[in-house]
Amino acid sequence: MTATKDIAGQGPTPVATPAQRASLGTGEFQVLLAQILPAAYGYALRLARSRADAEDLVQEAALNAFRGQRGFEAGTNFKAWYFRILTNCFWSKRRQDQRRPRSVDLDDTPDLYLYTRSAEHGLPQDGADPASLLLDRIGTGRVVEAIAQLPEEFRVASILYFMEDFTYHEIAEILGVPVGTIRSRLHRGRKMLQKTLWQGALEAGIVSAGQVEAEAEVDPPGANV
Amino acid sequence: MSALSRFTCEETFRRLDDYLDRELTADEMRLVGEHLEICAACASEFNFEESVLTGVKRKLRQLDLPDDLQARVAAALVKASGS
Repeated sequence: MTATKDIAGQGPTPVATPAQRASLGTGEFQVLLAQILPAAYGYALRLARSRADAEDLVQEAALNAFRGQRGFEAGTNFKAWYFRILTNCFWSKRRQDQRRPRSVDLDDTPDLYLYTRSAEHGLPQDGADPASLLLDRIGTGRVVEAIAQLPEEFRVASILYFMEDFTYHEIAEILGVPVGTIRSRLHRGRKMLQKTLWQGALEAGIVSAGQVEAEAEVDPPGANV
Repeated sequence: MSALSRFTCEETFRRLDDYLDRELTADEMRLVGEHLEICAACASEFNFEESVLTGVKRKLRQLDLPDDLQARVAAALVKASGS
């Protein structure tokens, strides 16, 4: 296992040239895939929530992509194309899996939920990175869990956004839905996420009636979940 | 500057998410940016929301890549190409 690091969000967006497409062999396909594999694994892990399932997803998607590479249009976004295949693999497995995690119904969440609650609890709201203190105390595990609790269509779009900085257009392409649908899912999803994060902070005693608890959990350097 | 060339707080807030995600037109990005320069209340809200998004991204992206994943995927592709 390698040291913990930020493996997502920084991968290149390889584009196969028409010449590559005409003669894309195993090695050439691997070169394109290798550039996005860390990002793909990160996405798969947040989707599947299990390292073993994430590795299976990445490998299954790689095989499907390799076998179906004629479906890849030269000059287009290889990463988005592969992520779409990976997402379809995930949906396919998901339909067979009845053990879905509990999701939350928080569609009535008001805007600026964390901002407002932070103000009510006297937490800092200004500065270079005002939410860092709160999120650090909430901890990576609870952030991961909060994402996991989003309703499925909001969860998948949100993971693509948070993990890879895909544009709305790219997420729409990957999920095969209109851009406006993605915009709505992302905007509503982040409101739900904020409410879930705050509820998690309250349940864990990280925030109380008046302040952030000084002894609350703080991620150690290099924490990963 | 005419009233039409400025966003109100409400018009600015309506574009909060799209602004943070850089999904507005260039003109809208500029108008929101100009409003944030002169409105401390909106600037505080936008700054906080951006900080939440940045923090969530940072936490979700802390991952270990299995050392042998690349090799296993490569082996599977070689096997598939020969079958």
